[in-house]
Parts: sequence; C-alpha cells; structure tokens
Amino acid sequence: MTLKKFVTLMFAAALVMFVFACGKGHEAASKEDEGEDDEAPQAASAPATTSGAPAAAAAAVPVVADAATITGVVKLVGNAPKMPTIQMNADPYCSSQHPNGQNAQDEEVVVDAAGDLANVLVYIKNPPPGNYPMPSTPATLDQKGCRYYPHVQAVRVDQPLEIRNDDQTLHNVHAMPVVNSQFNEGQPIQGMVATKKFDKVEMTPFKVKCDVHGWMKSYMAVMPHPFYAVSQMNGTFTIPNLPPGTYTLVSWQEKYGPQEQQITVGPKETKQVSITYKAS
Amino acid sequence: MKPQEPIPHNYSMAKLNLIFAVSALGLLFVTGGIVLYDYVRGWKWFQWEFIRIQQERLQQDLRAAQQGENRTRMAQLDKQIKQQELTIAAHRQQYVLAQRDLDQWEGQHYAADEDYRFAKANLDAKRYELEMAVLQKRRDRAQTRKEYIDLSNHVDDLQLRLQAVTRDRDAVQARVNAWLKKIKDAEDTRKQLTASIDLVKKQLAAVSTNGQFFILNAPMLDFISPTFKIDQVVLPDLFVNVNYMEVPRVDRCQTCHRAIDQPGFESKKEAARLSAELQQKLDTYQIPQNKRAATEQRIAQLKRIQDAPQEILNPWRTHPKLDLFVGSASAHPLLEYGCTSCHHGMDRATEFGRAGHVPPNAKMERRWSGFWNVAKRQWGYEENPFDETPMYPRQYYEAGCVKCHANQVQIKGGAQITRAEATVELIGCYACHKIANWRFTGLRKPGPDLTGIAEKTTPEWAIRWISEPHDFRSTTRMPSFFYQRNMVGPAVPAAERAQNIKYQDAEIRAIVEYLFSKSKHRVWPAPGPGDAARGKQLVNTIGCLGCHVDTETVKGATTGEMRLARRTDFPLERNYGFNLTGVGTKTNAAWIYNWVRNPKAYYPEAPMPSLRLSDQEAADVTAYLVTLQKPQFMQKPIRPVDPEAVRELAKGYLVNTRTDRDAEAKLKTMPMHEQLVYLGQRSIEKYGCYSCHNIDGFEGLKPIGTDLTIEGSKALHLFDFGFVHDYKAEDGVHEHVLHTVPSWIYNKLRSPRIYDDLRTKAYNDKLKMPNFHLTPEEARLVTTVVLGLTKDQIGADKIAATDPQTRAAQEGLKLVSQHNCRACHIVDGYGRAIASLISDTNFLPPDLTPEGARAQSPFLFNFLKDPTVMKIRPWVSVRMPTFQFTDAEANTLVGMFAAEGKAHEFDNAVYSMPPASNVAVGREVFNMLRCAQCHATTPVNPEAPPVPKTASTQSLAPNLTLARVRLRHDWIPDWIRRPNEMIPGTRMPANFPRDPATGGFISPLANAIDSPQFAKSKAALMPYFKSEADLKRTMADPVALTEYLRDYIWSIGITQIRAAAPNQAPAVIAPPSMPKQLPAMKTGRAEQGGGVTAGR
Repeated sequence: MTLKKFVTLMFAAALVMFVFACGKGHEAASKEDEGEDDEAPQAASAPATTSGAPAAAAAAVPVVADAATITGVVKLVGNAPKMPTIQMNADPYCSSQHPNGQNAQDEEVVVDAAGDLANVLVYIKNPPPGNYPMPSTPATLDQKGCRYYPHVQAVRVDQPLEIRNDDQTLHNVHAMPVVNSQFNEGQPIQGMVATKKFDKVEMTPFKVKCDVHGWMKSYMAVMPHPFYAVSQMNGTFTIPNLPPGTYTLVSWQEKYGPQEQQITVGPKETKQVSITYKAS
Repeated sequence: MKPQEPIPHNYSMAKLNLIFAVSALGLLFVTGGIVLYDYVRGWKWFQWEFIRIQQERLQQDLRAAQQGENRTRMAQLDKQIKQQELTIAAHRQQYVLAQRDLDQWEGQHYAADEDYRFAKANLDAKRYELEMAVLQKRRDRAQTRKEYIDLSNHVDDLQLRLQAVTRDRDAVQARVNAWLKKIKDAEDTRKQLTASIDLVKKQLAAVSTNGQFFILNAPMLDFISPTFKIDQVVLPDLFVNVNYMEVPRVDRCQTCHRAIDQPGFESKKEAARLSAELQQKLDTYQIPQNKRAATEQRIAQLKRIQDAPQEILNPWRTHPKLDLFVGSASAHPLLEYGCTSCHHGMDRATEFGRAGHVPPNAKMERRWSGFWNVAKRQWGYEENPFDETPMYPRQYYEAGCVKCHANQVQIKGGAQITRAEATVELIGCYACHKIANWRFTGLRKPGPDLTGIAEKTTPEWAIRWISEPHDFRSTTRMPSFFYQRNMVGPAVPAAERAQNIKYQDAEIRAIVEYLFSKSKHRVWPAPGPGDAARGKQLVNTIGCLGCHVDTETVKGATTGEMRLARRTDFPLERNYGFNLTGVGTKTNAAWIYNWVRNPKAYYPEAPMPSLRLSDQEAADVTAYLVTLQKPQFMQKPIRPVDPEAVRELAKGYLVNTRTDRDAEAKLKTMPMHEQLVYLGQRSIEKYGCYSCHNIDGFEGLKPIGTDLTIEGSKALHLFDFGFVHDYKAEDGVHEHVLHTVPSWIYNKLRSPRIYDDLRTKAYNDKLKMPNFHLTPEEARLVTTVVLGLTKDQIGADKIAATDPQTRAAQEGLKLVSQHNCRACHIVDGYGRAIASLISDTNFLPPDLTPEGARAQSPFLFNFLKDPTVMKIRPWVSVRMPTFQFTDAEANTLVGMFAAEGKAHEFDNAVYSMPPASNVAVGREVFNMLRCAQCHATTPVNPEAPPVPKTASTQSLAPNLTLARVRLRHDWIPDWIRRPNEMIPGTRMPANFPRDPATGGFISPLANAIDSPQFAKSKAALMPYFKSEADLKRTMADPVALTEYLRDYIWSIGITQIRAAAPNQAPAVIAPPSMPKQLPAMKTGRAEQGGGVTAGR
C-alpha cells in the first residue's frame, strides 16, 4: 500500500516537473530564436524564395477585369553610336547571306533617326502574386543568316523555347545563364530544332552565344509573370492586363544596362511611360 | 483486573512518537529526494523535447498529406477507397454465397466419400466370402458370386458418383477462392491508397506519450524497459586517452542529439541548401534512375521543413551532411566513427558541461554559462582546464578531419580544411614551427634566398623593409617583427618604449649589416633596351598575374572606396608570388632581367618557373617592372643607430658564455661594424629569420618556433592567457579572448604579442612571434589546422589515403600545391585564379579535371618536362611555364592525373590503326556534323601551329591532327558525347543532347539522315552497311557514331612528336665575376637518351 502510494507520488512529482520544464523551455526557446546565432558565421540567411510559390498557387489571382495597360516609347538621346557592319567572311555561308554587308549591322544599339530605341526589355519587377496563364505557343529563337532572331526576348519560367537552325552551317547555342543551368548544344543540320526550358526566374538578361560565329549573340530573360515587353523598331512597347497598383518598372538595354522607375496605374488606366537612355 | 502499572521510564512516549514520526517523514522525503535526484537527468529532458518535436513534425506531415493540393487527391482517394469497400462488400456477399454452396458440396462429398468407402469395405468382405465359398465348395456360392458382382457394380457407381461430386466441389472451391482473391486485391488497393497516411499514423503512435510510456519511464520502474535511455556507440579502433591509457571511445552524444542520424530534422537553411543540391543533381542526371523517386520524396520532405512554422533548434537537428557523415551509407557511418572522433569532446559524458562543449564566440559563452536553465538555453557550460579533447567550436569543425586525413592535400568534402592547409602552406607556418606530418614536411623555405641580397637591393631598402614590410606591400607574407604591440604598444611605459625602440633600431641595422656583409656580389648582365608598354602587355597576357598581384588597392566591399588590399582580397593562388607593386624601388633592372629569364640561375630552389622569355621579351618586361616605383617608401626616415644600444645588446649575448669582464674586454676589441655583424647574427638567431630564408651561416639549424605536431591536444591550462580579455585588433575589429584553446590560438594569430599586454618582461624575454597581419578569415583557417594537429590514436584502417593509388594522387596534388598549378588550371575541380583577369573563357588555360582520362601518360610526361613539344591551344596567350621538373616529379604528376582521372589502365588501343571502313564512315559523319567548322584537320608543326585570327570560325579549337599523340583512345568518343558534363562551360557543343525523360543520348542524325541535304552522304555511307535499316540503326546510335568519329580523327593524327629536351632550362647567363661564390647551377637533371619514358 505504502509503496504503491509512494510510487504514485513520485511519478506525479516527476510528471509535474517534466511538464513544467518542457512547457517553459519550449516557449522561451522559440521566442529567443529569432536572433539565434547558432549557425556557422559564414552562412547567410536562408533564401526567401521558397515560401512565395505555394502561396501564389493557393491564392491564384486571375487577370482582373479592371486591368490597366502600360505603354510607352524608349528613346535614346544624344549621338547614337554607329554600329559596325559585322564581318562574316570567316564563314563563307554567312557572308553569302548578307551580300554587301546588307542586314549585318551589329545590334548592340538599334535606334532609328528619331531616336527610338529598339530591343529594350521592359518588365515589372514586383507584380502581384498570381497564377498567370502560360502563353499557348512556345518561345522561339531562330538562327538565320548567322544571326539570332529575336535579339532580345523574355520567356516565362518553364515555357518551352524552340531553338531553330535555318542555316546550312554549324551553329552551337551556348546559353550562359547565371541562375538557370547552362547548356551548349551543337546544331549542325539545317532545320534542326532543340526544345529547352528554364526552370528558374532570371530577370536580368543573360547571353546566348554561338561559339562558332563570335558575333552571334542574343539576350534572354526568364520571367515568372507575363508583364514584360521588348521595344519594337519604333521604340514602342505595351504591357497589357496589369492589375492596378504601384510597381517598379525596369528597362534593360544591352549596352546601357538597367534603369528603374516607380509607376502607379489605376483601374482600366492606360499609362503612358517614357524611358530615356543617354548615349554615352 | 488491576490496571497495569505504567512502566516508569525516562522519556516521554508521546514525544518519542513525534520524533519518530518526524524523522520517518524526513527519511521518506530524503529517500524520495534521492530517487528524484537520481531520476531527473538533463539528457532526459532533451529526449522528452525530441519526442514532442517528432510529434509536431509528424502531425504536420499528416496535415500536409491531407491538405492543400493533396485534398482533392484525398477526396479522390476516399472515393476510391469507398468504391473498393463497396466492391469488397459485394465480393464478400458473393463469397458467402459461394462458401455456403461449398459447404453443401462438402457435405455431399463427405457423404459420397463415406458411402464409397463403406461399400468398398463391404465389397472386400464379400470377396472373402466368395473366395471361401468357392474354396469350401459351398452351395450358395453362385448366389454369393451374384451378390459380389452386384456389390462390385455398386462400388463402381459410388466411385463415379464420388468423382462427380469431387469435381463439382472443386469447382465451387475455385469460385470461393476467386472471390477471396478479389476481396484481398481490393483490400490491398485500399491499403496502398492510404499507405502514406497510415505510415505517418503508425510513426505517430510509436512516439505517443500514452499511459504505457509514463509507466515505463516512472521513477523506480524505469529499470525494466524505459524509453528514456542512454544511447551509446562503442568505437573499438578510435581511442581516447584516459589517464595515460588509450581506451576505445564510447560516444554517448546521441543520448541528447537524438535526430543526428534521422533525416527530416534539418534546420530551414540546411533544408533549403540540401533540396537545392539534390534538385541540381536530379537535373544533371547524377542520380541513377532507380533512386530518382526516393530523391524526389526527400526533396518534398525538405520543402516541408522549410515551410514548417517552427525551426528545429540545434540539439535536435539532423546532421547537415548525412551523405558524408553519420548516415549508414556515408563514408563515416555513426556506428563506426561515432561523433567525438571528428568533433572531439568527452565521449562518455551525458551532461552538457562535462561533454566538453566549447563556445564559438563570446555571445554563445554568455548564453551557455550560468546555472542550468533550459528556458534561457543555459546548458551549464563549464571550462575544463585539463581536458585534452574539448570539442571543436563550429567555425573549426573541419579540424577534426586532420587526424585521419593528414596524408592528403585535398580532402573531399572538406573545403575549409583543404583551404586552411593551403593557407598554412602559403603563409609558411611550417618553416618556423615543425609540423611532423606528411602534408607539411618536405616543403621549401617560404622566403626568398638572402645569400645574394646585395645583388638585388640596397641596405637602405632592407632596413625600411624589415622595420615594417607591410608599409611597402600590404599583401606581403613577410611578417612584421619590429615595433610591435609589446615593444611600443600603448600598454608599454614611455621610458621602456623609448629604450625598446633604440634596441629594435639596433637589431634591424645589425641584421642588415650581417646579411650584406655575407652576401655574394655577382654581376649580372644588363638588359638591352626594352619597351615598357610591350612589357606591360606581356605581363598582363602571358600569365604572370596568375601568381603575382599587380595592385595594392582594392575597392572596399561596403563603402566602395579604394583601400589597401589584403591577401584575402585575392585568390589564394595569386598571393603565391610577391606583389609586383614597387618592385622597381626594391631592386634593379639587371636583377629583374636575369630573374625573369631564368629564376633558378639566381636561386636554384626558386619557386618561379621559366616562362621562356626571349632576350627582347625579358628586356621589355624588365623595362615595365622598373617603372613600378614606390618612391615614398624610400623617403621614410631611418633613425641613426645608438652605439650604446648595440653594445648593450651585444654584451647581453656575450655574457651568456663569458664573465661580465671578459665580455666587456671582448667588446672593446670589436669595432662598430664587427659588433653589428655579431649582433646581427645573434638577432637572426633570435628571430629565426633563417627558418624562412636561406642565409649564409645558418645552414641546418632547427626552426625556431614551437613544435605544433600535437598542439591541438594541449590542454587549456598549458596556455598563458596573460591579462587580456578583449582588444581592438590592428584592422579595427574588436576581438574577444575567450578562455578556450581555439580562442587563444586565434588571437595569437591575429595579434601575436597580445598576451604580453600588461606583463612585465625583460627585453629579450618578450614574445617574439612576428605579426603576419592575418585577416580574421586567415586566422580562422590557420587555427583550424593547428587544432587538428592532435595526438589522438587511431586504428590503422581508419587512416585515410593509404592505398598506393591515392598516395600517388596526393603526392601529385602536393606538387600541384607547391608549384601553384591552380593559378592557371582547374585541378581536381577547383582553381584557375587567373580566370578573374580574363573575361573570355576561351582564352583561359585548360581545365585539367579530366586530364587523367584525357591525355596519354607518355605525352603528359613529355609535356610537363618540356611544354614546347606541342602547342595545343595556340590562341591562348598564357604560357605554360617550364618548371624544370625532374623525372620523378613529372612521373608523380602523371600518376596523380591518372589516379584522379581513373585512367590508370593501360590503353592499348592507342597504338592500333582503325579499319579503313570505320575511317570512311567517320569522315562522312564528321562532315555531316560539320566538325571542321571549328577544328582544323590539316597537319601542322606541333611546336608552332599557326596562331588563328580570332574572327575565323576555324579558330578556337585544337587541331585534330594532334589528337592521336595526345588523347586517350577511349576518351575521344566519351568527350564528343558529353563535353559540357566533363568541363562545364566549354565551347565544345553537345552534339548528342540528353533526352530529358530518360537521360540517354539522342543522335541528331537519326532522322536527318533521310533528309535531302544528306542524300549524298547517305549514298556514300550505304556501301559500308548491310542494309538501310542497319545504316539507320547506326545513325541513331550515339556511341557508334562517336566511335566512328574517333576512328576518323585517329586516322588523320600524327604519330610522333619531339621528346622533351633533357635540359629545357634556357641557357644560364654565367656572371663574369666572382666565380668563387657562384651557386651550384642546377639546370635540371641531365637525362640520357632523350626518349619518352612511360609516365606511369
């Protein structure tokens, strides 16, 4: 009888102590851990990108009815640099595609007489999270006459990219992304198509080059959303279907680099934006 | 009855009862207390907390399995399960009916069977009757016979009937079995559908804290089968020293660190890192097909950890590198290596304080110490001055690698320790401090030769340099010996400081006097006129900057302003040679000219290789280098030396062996110069200059520093902490001195004289270790190595890298480190410091990671001995230097490449000639794939192939006629199939891309061969194949195609190159004067024959 009582008593005491200790310890520990310094000093903070994706998937924002549109013109002020004519003599096939250097201008800065700047990638840096529909068609990158078409473009994450060789010569497509994985594939046969995908967001354009023809280069960005455009030959661009809000609008030019500006668009508004680069 | 008389006694019963009651109660409580004290142990709390964490995680997993995306799946599942249950019910009904049927049939069968047996028995009886009747000639025998026949017929009938019944019964039985099977299948399907959830539920039940759990762990009952118990692993061949006896380690760390070997309890950051790593491996096909599903599951688990609301704290975390440590499939499984073999610590302890935990920084020390309070995460840290194996704090974890991996230059998975050992080698710690292991023995003296100092520079420069080398070059490895903290620091009294300065001035002057008085004075020929601009161009392009830095200012990372550079601002390899800034101030044109032409003429052990500069090139480089001036350095004032200080110091040494009077007398006979030379000699001895520099008169002396071979096993009480607790280091960083060994070593490195602060010491007794101006990172790395140098005993089979092949590789890697090959090349996965200066990867020296698999060993041997035998990449301006390797060294390197590249097998196909048909097919494939667009196939002189114009498409790829003497036969097809996987970022495109689904190769010719553009090729190929199907099959087979390509390349290759010249060193310029003091001119071994020696 006594033993049983004793055991019960001790058992109860231990239990109380344990529950007390654990409850307290747990609570305090979790509180204190915000400034936890338990890690090796060289380690940086954990990447925050992971939490965004599931949240976005859960709260899919459809393209809203009162969507706004951003439109504008990219201008270059100052003396436009003269673009050299690319010498393609190294590959007779290439030079035969451009008799008298026709259509063989370097495309680093493509500007018309009015100062309209083409090939500028314009995109929204911080769009609202949403499950934006993927374009139904794959993006394309054509190699034609030993040049890339288009010269600058953006694709969506996981959007198929069809790389086509229209030339009767060997091209290799050497994509040099920083975030995504690099690839370098040879396309020795005319009409060959390779299909590739980029699975990570990479908003800063990276170079795609051909090692066989040193002048061939194209730039490509990988976007998580559809709010991007590349300025056309007359410098214009349009980003439609944008939910109202305040955004950072980034433009990127091959030679002059990125520029940012804040814009606010209201419901159903068509916002005119002007982007100006200075020729240095 | 008369009432009993109370017995008279001298005590009161009531009082006594009370005392007994009180003491009984007291005893009860004390006993209870003892039981409780014995019961309540710290580690139990950790185990309890871990159970709680497990429950939390599992419940989270359960929720995750039932929620979100899984919800719709779950709904479907539920529907399926219901369906299955309905099916099972329906089947069950059918089954019951069938079973009832069967039962009936069984009855019938039984009856029929019985009838038959009985009838058969009757028949036997009747037969006997009949036989008897016949024998006895009875009258009724006819009747009997008839009866017998009737009965026999009856039996036959019954047998037939039995057979029929049996058949029917079996049919019914089969039906029943079929229903049973259907039910079982349906149930299995249901089980599969709920398997993942059931598993979690089962796991949850296993860690539930129910009544049984409490009873098993109740005090005094917990001896039976408690769930709270001490976990230990015995390590028979890893020893710990207990009172001078080596006993096997018994690690009990797991008692508290419960999750250490269970994946799923990583920190969020680790989970992010691991999932990214695994994803990368999945994406690049590094994970075999049969393990992909498991890997995907693991990634999902890691993603769940990242999304979990709460972080798991350190004691309960999974080991972050289970693939390397602890995991049962890793190289260091828990059951074999335990924890303390790497981490150190008291193996048998189960309390935080006793286990030898060492705080990594002051903040953690504050948190840990203090009386046990789990709420504040005060674990009761206590310092143990006599513990020889305290744990390594987290920034020094990789110190634990050294004891088993001391035979390795490179430790796979130990990036920090590999870098740390390279840092020790670079800074040259081993020169003053003996470190008796393979890694740090047999290395050259880290400082330059001083036996010709007068040819190189002036005493004025040398005085200023020794006074403060960092004033001349902020990145120099020469440490500062003089005017340090314990001599002129703020804690030194003013009068003593003035005296110290006088003494130090005298010592510096004396050292310079000694060096110059002993120096050789060879006269080196002067260079012809040079063009500085061209020289600069050369320095920038031929690879000088791989080993030398040419700047002293860098942009600050945070402020963006220019600041003085430190060594860590540049890749380790670029600190190998001295910083070029100010070289024109330091030395003269003649010296530079002769040095760059052939460094080994000045000093045979010079680490600098020959870049085979022509006379004109050398003159140009010289012209450029002499323009690198630092005039302000030479304007620093030199204080005149106080003769009294010289006298006093010299006398201080003289009285060691003489009486005071003899010393005075001796001094009187010595003129000032002689006194200075004497003091110089003594000072060189005192400071140990000879440990790093070659100095005349100090040959063969033992190095000056403490032997560090077992420094990591020195207990805390053997370290003198002086009076310092915290201080501001020279770079402005506030440093704390914790009372731990790692902290002592770290601060000793950061500020070597710091433990003299506030001490009273005689001039010559003060600390002498010079200041290397180590950055915190460098100090941390060096500390890691020092902590790893222990006297721990290890079983022979635990020592790594003992097999001959790994030895060969490691010997080679040591040479790679000694000759700084990584300045230009990637070797074994890392290196190529020069890449930071050349933006276009096409113009970089090659990545040597696959070299062993790539190059034929004889070629490699020849090329290492003499790089001029073949110019493989004529467009690369960086020159492969001539290192003047001995045969043994070259063989070691070849062996290293072979071992690393797994190409140690003899490649006998190298000498074979492919069949003509293969060559023809290969040529056609070569044309179809347009390989000639980049690769030239016309024969060239291997020593001087034409340098291509960069605009040419047929430019930046090796000439294929050189492949046959250089490349391994089996490597070529492999390379063509997967160039990007062997050398990431290579220009060579993948012509056989991987199929994303299967990971196999795809041939672009599989379909294209039918296209009109290849009609001609197809026609040309047809004769070599049995049928068109055969041809198409081959065109779709990447392995066959690449082998045909190889055979074609083989057929066009040259088969012979020049053997390495035996003495490849450029002609040595013999100085015209001072022949007596000429150094022994080692110009490499004079090899006989000149033939290629197999480099295996």
